[in-house]
Amino acid sequence: MIQVLGVRKEYTGRCVLDVPSLCFEQGKRYALLGANGSGKSTLLKILAGIIKPTEGTVQSEAAGKNAVGYMPQKPYGFSFSVLRNVTMAIDACPNRKEIAKSAIGAVGMSTLINADASKLSGGETQRIAFARIIAIQRKLLLLDEPTASTDLNGIDLLEKALLNYCGETGCTVIFATHSPAQAMRLANQVIFLQQGLIAEHGESKQVLHEPQSKAAQAFLNHWKL
Amino acid sequence: MQAVNDVAGLLFGPDDELRKIIWLTLRMSFFSVLISSAVGIPFGVILGCLKFPGRGLVIRVTTTLMGMPPVVGGLIVFLILSNSGPLGHLRLLYSLEAMVTAQVVLITPIITGLTANTVGVRYKQVAETARGIGLSPSKSLSYTLFECRRQMIAVLLTGFGRAIAEVGAVQIAGGNIQHKTRVMTTTIMMATNMGRFNTAVALGGVLLLIAFLINGFAHFFSKEEDA
Ligand SMILES: Nc1ncnc2c1ncn2[C@@H]1O[C@H](COP(=O)(O)OP(=O)(O)OP(=O)(O)O)[C@@H](O)[C@H]1O
Ligand SMILES: [Mg+2]
Repeated sequence: MIQVLGVRKEYTGRCVLDVPSLCFEQGKRYALLGANGSGKSTLLKILAGIIKPTEGTVQSEAAGKNAVGYMPQKPYGFSFSVLRNVTMAIDACPNRKEIAKSAIGAVGMSTLINADASKLSGGETQRIAFARIIAIQRKLLLLDEPTASTDLNGIDLLEKALLNYCGETGCTVIFATHSPAQAMRLANQVIFLQQGLIAEHGESKQVLHEPQSKAAQAFLNHWKL
Repeated sequence: MQAVNDVAGLLFGPDDELRKIIWLTLRMSFFSVLISSAVGIPFGVILGCLKFPGRGLVIRVTTTLMGMPPVVGGLIVFLILSNSGPLGHLRLLYSLEAMVTAQVVLITPIITGLTANTVGVRYKQVAETARGIGLSPSKSLSYTLFECRRQMIAVLLTGFGRAIAEVGAVQIAGGNIQHKTRVMTTTIMMATNMGRFNTAVALGGVLLLIAFLINGFAHFFSKEEDA
């Protein structure tokens, strides 16, 4: 369980995130929805420990170095092979090449396994970053728009790989997305952010089909059209 | 035609004075860059990647020093090394060591500033991904440096190019003493003043060629990565 308590983040005096209280349960999947600049990435970075909140705390049972895997919105492809881009993340063990290869296969990148990852396309880089996150076997996955640049086939592969991984490990997933349909497919719960505030939080079906808040209603109108 | 022959004779003929001057210049530039990068690269990495109080001020000071007029650098080293200066007892004035010291004063801020910029930008891109997969800060940093390797070579070449083409500081600190501290640029100045244009042209040509090669390499190393 992860408990967010009184977390605020300010940049040069402007408050971009204000979450008085939020709780993530073990083994569930959460989608963060909201407009550009609503604070999705900021919340994920705070949960990942990449940035510190201006105020407040995040308490997590699954603490420790090897508990969390975070995939940023713009993942980085290192200038060596795709295979090494994945193995570099896995702790030394005899079968880490096999683990990496199967993760790369799961995202449909086997043919590019020896390619220089710094020269990949945006969607390819995202697929590799996703393979890397799956391969390191974390209990908590924080994914910032993991399929924003992938093609439809990539979305399909990544979602299947994620659900598979969750089925095997019972991990917790918190991901940002701009696709309500994806939130529907993947998440148990949806958290709807507006200008740094949680406008609505509940079961995916509930929030996506019968939004209560004005903000979520307005946002989802674009989807229904 | 005669002039071309004369210039070639100076460079490749039996008298090895110009070749010794070129060799001394290369050695001076090499050691200057070596020492400047031993100081400037670690300092630049710290400046580019770590946040600490006063960082903004240090960056501004470094940027200012990057543009320090070479004669001022030479003057500072001259004052320190001259007989009445704090390090006068070392008797280093008008030596290769004095010229290298002056160059280090000029080049270290340049290498520091360029490193901070290059590594800092890359670290921002690498760090989120690296920390997201649980790598330690020191590992993130070493991956960042690895990712910057080509641009860092370009930074070193830039420093070398500055050192080899610089004249004011080495003139003041080195004194342009024959067989001892006479380098290409100071020789060109002197030869021109004395009307020995063949010597000046010969060294000028070599200097231009070296500058061209350095620029070519620097361009190659800084570009390729994004190609
Ligand atoms: N380092 C920073 N300095 C200043 N402001 C920042 C910084 N990082 C984020 N912000 C601001 O915080 C707000 C929230 O940004 P955030 O990246 O969390 O949005 P987001 O919901 O992820 O948006 P998107 O859908 O575009 O990815 C934005 O208005 C952004 O300008
Ligand atoms: Mg974002």
